[in-house]
Amino acid sequence: MSSTRRPTSRSVRRTAVAATSAALAGVLLAACGSGGGSGSGTTGSGPVHIKVWAWYPQFKQVVAEFNRTHKDVQVDWVQAGVGQDEYTKLKTALKAGQGAPDVVMLEFQELPTIQLTKGLLDMGKYGANADKGNYVSWAWSQASDGDHVYAIPVDGGPMAMMYRADLFKKYNLKVPTTWAEYKEEAAKLHKADPSAYMTDFGSDETAAGWRQGLAWQAGSRPYTYSASKLPDIGVKLNDDNAKKVYEYWGDLVKNKLVDTASYATTDFYNGLSTGKYATYIAAGWGPGYLSSVAAKTSGKWRVAPLPQWTAGAGAQGDWGGSSFSVTSQTKHPKEATEVARELFGTSQAAWKIGIDQAYLFPLSNPILNGAYFKSKKYDFFGGQQINSVFVPAANGISTFDWSPFQDYAYNTDTSEVGKALQGQNAWSSVNDNVQQQVTSYASKQGFKVSK
Amino acid sequence: MTTVAAPAVTAAPATGRRPSAARGRVTVNVVMVAMILYFLLPFWWLVVAATKGNDALFSTAALWFHSPGSFFTNLQQLFTYNDGEYLRWMGNTAIYAGVSGVGATAVATLAGYAFAKYRFPGRNLLFSSLLGAIMVPATALAIPTYLLLSKVALTNTMWAVILPQLLNPFGVYLVRVYVQESLPDELLEAARMDGAGELRVLWSVALPTLKPALVTVLLFSMVGTWNNFFLPLVMLNNDKLFPLTVGLQSWYEGAMIQSGANALFTLVIAGSLVAILPLIVTFLLLQRYWRGGLTVGSLK
Amino acid sequence: MSLLRQQGSTATAPPSAVPARGLRTPVTGRRPGGLSARTRHKGMGLLLVSPFLLLFLAFLVAPLCYAFWLSLRTSTLVGGDHFSWFANYQQTFTDPQFLSGVRRVVVFGVVQIPLMLGLALLGALIIDEVTSRLAKVFRMTLFMPYAVPAVIGALMWGFLYSPTFGPVNSISHSLGLGKVDLLSHALMLTSLGNIVTWQWTGYNMIVLYAALQGLPREVYEAAKLDGAGQLQTALRIKIPMISSAMVLALMFTIIGTLQFFTEPRVLEHSASSVITPDYTPNLYAYNLAFQYSEFNYSAAISFSLGAVVFIGSYFFLFATRKRSGLK
Repeated sequence: MSSTRRPTSRSVRRTAVAATSAALAGVLLAACGSGGGSGSGTTGSGPVHIKVWAWYPQFKQVVAEFNRTHKDVQVDWVQAGVGQDEYTKLKTALKAGQGAPDVVMLEFQELPTIQLTKGLLDMGKYGANADKGNYVSWAWSQASDGDHVYAIPVDGGPMAMMYRADLFKKYNLKVPTTWAEYKEEAAKLHKADPSAYMTDFGSDETAAGWRQGLAWQAGSRPYTYSASKLPDIGVKLNDDNAKKVYEYWGDLVKNKLVDTASYATTDFYNGLSTGKYATYIAAGWGPGYLSSVAAKTSGKWRVAPLPQWTAGAGAQGDWGGSSFSVTSQTKHPKEATEVARELFGTSQAAWKIGIDQAYLFPLSNPILNGAYFKSKKYDFFGGQQINSVFVPAANGISTFDWSPFQDYAYNTDTSEVGKALQGQNAWSSVNDNVQQQVTSYASKQGFKVSK
Repeated sequence: MTTVAAPAVTAAPATGRRPSAARGRVTVNVVMVAMILYFLLPFWWLVVAATKGNDALFSTAALWFHSPGSFFTNLQQLFTYNDGEYLRWMGNTAIYAGVSGVGATAVATLAGYAFAKYRFPGRNLLFSSLLGAIMVPATALAIPTYLLLSKVALTNTMWAVILPQLLNPFGVYLVRVYVQESLPDELLEAARMDGAGELRVLWSVALPTLKPALVTVLLFSMVGTWNNFFLPLVMLNNDKLFPLTVGLQSWYEGAMIQSGANALFTLVIAGSLVAILPLIVTFLLLQRYWRGGLTVGSLK
Repeated sequence: MSLLRQQGSTATAPPSAVPARGLRTPVTGRRPGGLSARTRHKGMGLLLVSPFLLLFLAFLVAPLCYAFWLSLRTSTLVGGDHFSWFANYQQTFTDPQFLSGVRRVVVFGVVQIPLMLGLALLGALIIDEVTSRLAKVFRMTLFMPYAVPAVIGALMWGFLYSPTFGPVNSISHSLGLGKVDLLSHALMLTSLGNIVTWQWTGYNMIVLYAALQGLPREVYEAAKLDGAGQLQTALRIKIPMISSAMVLALMFTIIGTLQFFTEPRVLEHSASSVITPDYTPNLYAYNLAFQYSEFNYSAAISFSLGAVVFIGSYFFLFATRKRSGLK
């Protein structure tokens, strides 16, 4: 047959058909392969599956506990990322219109940002307001706007001072109760041992919340913001209180009384575990953190309240803490709200795991003020009941608003602090520079900024 | 060159030059050894660090071992942590690299061959856009690609990682050049004379000759996919679909931020070591192929 | 071109295989029972190139167009999307953060690229000349970093750079240089340059080596007869003869450098007061999109950077077209 001797229109056509079918098959396969990627689960009979993104340590057990006790709602947990990585994925998924989970773990400072994208469901419509009394008021006010509830608080980071009791004894230091005393003890320490520091000053992005928490304690309230009052926003990052804090620490840095290693790097851990740092200005989640990065210093640390600006004042600040929100992409708002409210909520069982194994600091009133938590002894702190310091701190924190462009504000702050560290700028100008850049940014973004 | 036998006529001058040639040789060897040490340094550190447990990692000298070592403990932890998610990540990486590698090579081969041996409308335009394609930064494409893929509900799936990596303009370029250099038209014509269809010509005549180029493209494609970080980072939310790069990075971030996760540093290190071994071994084994392919690729 | 060859090949084809009719027919005419060679070629060509074309359209052209469309709009946190023509581009070229990023990668490139390519060239010349076992080890060792994902490479070097744990500091201490913070503001670019050099020298070396291997050996013979030493041979003969490969390697390296992203991104976390979100233009575009959700401005930055790269590359290619051998 002549068809085998030379290429004919038929053979070309045949090839074309074969290729097209292959391509079509490929596309179909692709479409099928995407199943189950996003959003909520099954409809119809059977439990409703709610997808949760979170990065809490030991969270698997908490999820198991929830699934055990809730038969009509089941949690599917995925760790989509830690911190910023998770927020990036969330923001991209929200922009794309699909791919976001039902319930997502959000730190408090990130809430207004996500809420502004209209990415959060108002859980108030699904009964979440009933939980108001269950949580410390400052956390609830950050998680809600009047009757609109955008998040259910989970854990917090009230600040306190952890110190090496053995080093204090060795160098004859007394536990400072004011920042002035803190500076004096720092000078004493450095004189006795120039290679030791009172603590590490958090100069990097990770420590932006640390710096903000200290300014919080000093009375700074940089933002006045409420989603229901858009586009108005008040921005005052350079009030006297904030300046006081930055100039204080700048002074300590200049006198080499504190180190400037980036937080959450191996050098920082090394400083904590080798006695390079005599104190660690920490948050309520600090104990777990410290006991894992500085495991070999177990028994040597103690916890004392944060030094005050005015003796006896009792002002507090918070660093970090997170909550559960429901995204606007959920197809099961009722069940998702239930999950957000009850994964931790006031559940004793969940919080036992949270407190004992994940070292989370509860913001849920019955747990926070309950006997178990308050009287718990921590071996790492030589058996001290550290929560007798942390709980009053948590209860003593007053309200504080975050901005809906917190990432930008934190980055700008880190940048300016970096410049001050290098000696490019004076410490006293850091807050002014940040104020100027942030207000300019906010105006460009369409806010009506009042200073 | 040092083994070239010089004609007898130049034997005398050659003898006269020997001392300086020897000195030159020593210098070259010293330079080589110095550079080898420098380039090996991070690998050496990685191997040493992988044998250390957490405490030893942060308290002993970085470049030497500390006994007792905990290499096997680290490995065991690596493969069992979090229900063996590392192994799943390895599997994912192998799938992405394998499918994308083979797919990209096939596509590039067909296209490169077509560019070299066929004329069709738009050929020149398309080929000259190849170079432009290489110059487009991945970050510029990441979000739009994500947004476009989400419209067809393909994000957060394996296809979101595989499909974009099937596009390998450099591979097309390489194949085209190789075809032009090593595949004369006469060879193809002869096959056609014998009555072979176009696909048959491609399969039986062209492909065997193209093998070095194919292996090169396959290798570089697979390496590119194996090592790709940014694309899967953007496309994937489900940690069960992560490749090794994204997975290790997430452990690293976790080690930095989380409490109770300090052990992750040893995992990151051990994981990094295990992750780079397959590629290094592959390169070692397939040396002659990619060298051959690159040879032609650089000759235009 | 292929048609001419086809005509010419009738003389060389084995007589038994030549169909008497087919090839004497003008190729544009229709042959009974089949398509003309031209149409057949066109059809086949299109078919073979179609998968690539589809992928090209789907994953390059479409996203690019979409990104361009994005860049023509502005979106604010309050007030959403609106069309703004080239306002974003105007902003780009007066944005101090973008400009400082560009300046930084240019400075980085001016130092790092010649250094790296110089090392690559040196390495290539060495392994071209020397065939000892040491040279083989040398070749493999320098190439190995290419097999390492940039993420892992940055992690490894991040550890090595650590002021507390890294060997770098114990070495500098013993040399009497005191404490050296490689991740400080002053040294960051150098440290990043080191990682990039470590990662890419081997690859460039192999490319140049391949080019060297393709050179005709007779030239060396002639040179040797003329009394040229190894060094002279290298400088006067080899290097000029592989100039086209060098130009191409240089161009791709420049393109890569202008798009510098991965290493700063990985180290961003542990050195966040030095590596600000706008450290390189690409990092800036990334953070604008993924941290601040400013997708539109991010797209404009990417395009502006792409324009800089694109124009620069074509100009560079044009200026060196004789050298590079591309037409």
